[in-house]
Order: sequence, then structure tokens, then C-alpha cells
Amino acid sequence: MSNVNDHLDKLMQELRRGTLTIGVLSQLSEPQYGYSLVTMLGDKGIHVEPGTLYPLLRRLEKQGLLDSKWDTNESRPRKYYLLSKTGKEVYCLLVGEWMGIVDSLNHVIQQKGEEENGAD
Amino acid sequence: MELIERYIYAVIQKLPQSQREEISIELRGLIQDMLEERVEGRKPTDRDVEEVLQELGNPKNLAGQYRESKNYLIGPELYDSFILVLKVVMITLSIVLAIEFVVQIIIEPMSILEHFIDLIVTVVTVIPTAFGWTAIWFALAEHFSEINPKDLKMEKEWKPSDLPPIPDTKGQIKRTDPIAGIIFYVFLIALFSFSTNYFGVWIFRDGYRGAIPFLNPEANNIFLLFIILILGFGIIKESLKLVYRKWNVQLVVFTAILNVVSFLVVMLMISEPEFWNPTFMNELVQYGVLSEGTEAYQTVHTIWNQSTRWILVFMAIGLIWEIVDGLVKVFRQKK
Repeated sequence: MSNVNDHLDKLMQELRRGTLTIGVLSQLSEPQYGYSLVTMLGDKGIHVEPGTLYPLLRRLEKQGLLDSKWDTNESRPRKYYLLSKTGKEVYCLLVGEWMGIVDSLNHVIQQKGEEENGAD
Repeated sequence: MELIERYIYAVIQKLPQSQREEISIELRGLIQDMLEERVEGRKPTDRDVEEVLQELGNPKNLAGQYRESKNYLIGPELYDSFILVLKVVMITLSIVLAIEFVVQIIIEPMSILEHFIDLIVTVVTVIPTAFGWTAIWFALAEHFSEINPKDLKMEKEWKPSDLPPIPDTKGQIKRTDPIAGIIFYVFLIALFSFSTNYFGVWIFRDGYRGAIPFLNPEANNIFLLFIILILGFGIIKESLKLVYRKWNVQLVVFTAILNVVSFLVVMLMISEPEFWNPTFMNELVQYGVLSEGTEAYQTVHTIWNQSTRWILVFMAIGLIWEIVDGLVKVFRQKK
């Protein structure tokens, strides 16, 4: 049984890695700092480790999908991230692609289910 | 709170200098945010700090997440060839050093202890040097092969017909050939760096054991440097063959460049009158190998005087042959 869990863990990890970017981009039409994003995503059911999110934010910034600004007015300096112009475009297209994947996958999963039901 | 600074330090010391400051500010903020959420208004204890850091995980892993660039000198693609070349070089070197030791004892059996100390010193200096040079060349190869993935991205249209053919046996390079080549070159390097005085005609008679050197024993050490450099080129060439495992245009180009450079250096070097042992013929007579005036003496004399020209001719033929052979094998594969 633990074998099954191992497989599941590995596959889930891969699945999350791909989808996390969409989740992050979806929340950044308003500027957010790292930890506020962790809480926000957590509240919406997307659990993410800060150790994964912080480096991801930096990478996305480096790729030009995010802009960033340091806010030094608060008690401690915080780096706020926001979708860049490119980031917005990429996000819109990405959502379209995602919907397509969901549709196709739903379709194949349901089809499989119908076949099994038919066989009963 | 000291623990927090230690944690941040552990992360950033594994990151490039340029990113350290920003990431440390970011991490400090993150840890404080996490603490605040955990304690909900009360003052955080050391235990809280520990738990938060535990949640963030091993600083090594966190640093790894931040770092995207590859952190290895020789990657998995080149690793096998690297280890192979290293093994060949090391084994050959050990054998050569052992042979040198034995030869020295034969020549001067009295100073065996001295030779033994020499051997130890040589092992300690030469083995790491050989290791270092091998690693440097492979690291350079790794560095420059990094460009390739970007090149691939540039080619937008890929056609199945672009696939290279599976090399037939004619184009493949047998592993044994370059290995034999490397052994040969390492052997020569060891021989020359040991002493050029033993590179010559060996004489064992009347209690005298030694060699009449071909090369000028008084000559400038710069010659020796060049000889070793060229033999080093030879090792690079053979290593490239090991890496590519088949003849292709790139390999032919590399080989051609190395061959032309080697040839030019050799040509400049052996054309210097100082290069050869000026008293070679006299010494032959002196040790009774030849006597002046005989036919044999005349023959050897002619060969000796013309050797420079003939060495160049044979070397040129050999080097050109290698390039032509490679080219032929490349074109045969393309058919």
C-alpha cells in the first residue's frame, strides 16, 4: 500500500509543480508579497511551501512575467510582486490552455467511466 | 533570534553573491511573518523559531530551489568519458612511473633510496597534475557544450529527416583506438618530462649503461614544454574521439586544427639547430657503436642529418591521413 502512496506522491508533486505557476499568476493582478500569497493560496485550498514559492516568484520575475517593488514603509521591508504586461498576456493564454486540458481530461475520464458502467 | 540569522546565512552562502542581500532580506521578512502567524500576538519563543525553521526545511534544499544554474563541473553526459580518460591516464602514468623507477635502478643501482624518494615526490606531484588537467579540459568541454541547447531552440522547424543516421560500423570509433592513443601519449609525456636524456640510442657495454640522447641536453627547456604541449594536444584529440564515438564534421575540424597547430610547432621547433644533440655522431663513435669512415657511419650520418626533414614529412603524412580518413568516414555515413 505504501508503494501506491509513493507513486501517488511523486505524481502529485509533478502535477503541482506545473499547476502552481497558474495559481500564483492568478493571484497577482494585485500586488502581493510572498507570505501573503502563501496564506491566500492556502485559504483557497492550494497548499504551497514558502520554500517553493519564494524561489518561484524570483524565477517568474527573472523571466519577465512579474514585476516587483520593495515596500520599505512597513515595519519590515517587503517585496511586492505584480503581473507584468507580458505576465498578464501569458496568464490569459495559460488559462485558456488549462481549460482545454481540463475539458479533454474530463472527457477521457468520463468516457472511461461510462465504458466500465456499460460492462457491468 | 540568533538561530534565524544562522539559518539565513546557511542559505545565502550557497547562493551567488549578487543575490545574497536581497534574498536574506526576503527570508528575514518571511520568517518573521511565519512567526507572527504562529504566535498570534504573544512573544515568540525559541521553540517557535525552531518550529518555523523546521517548517522551512533544510537550508541546503532551500538554496537549491533558489539556484537554477547547474552546479557541476562535468555533467552526466561527459561523466562516463571523463572517468574513462582519467582511468586510462592514471593507469598509464602509474605504469610509466614504475618503469622509470626500474630503469633508474638499473642505471644507478647504488642510489636506490634516492630514486625511491624521487618516485614518491613524482607520484605526489604528477598524479594530481594529471588529474587536474584532465578535469580542466572536460570542464571546458562541459562549459562550451552549454551553448548547444540554446542553438536547438533557435531551430524552430525540425524535420524527422534531420535525424542523424545511426552510424554504421565504418564511421564508429572503436573505444580501444583512442584508449591506445592516450596510453601512447601519456607514456611519451612521462618519458620526456622524466628526462630527454634517455630518449636516444641505448648502450649496454663495458659496464656502461646509458643512452646517447637524440636531443640536445643543453637545450632550452622551452622545447620540452612544447613537446609536452603537443603530446597534450594528442590526448585532447583522442579524448574527443572517445566523447563523440563516431566521426563527424566537428570532430574532423577539431582534429584538423589541433594537427595544424601541432605540425607548425614541431616544424618551428625541430628546425632550430639547437634542438638536436650536436655531438650525437661523435658520441656514437666515442662509445664504439660506430667507427668513423665505415659505410655504416656514412649511412647513419646521412639519416641523422636528414632526420629533421623526414620527421616533418612523415608527421605531415600521418596528420593529413588522419584528417582525410575522418572526412571519408563522415561522408560515407551521409550516404
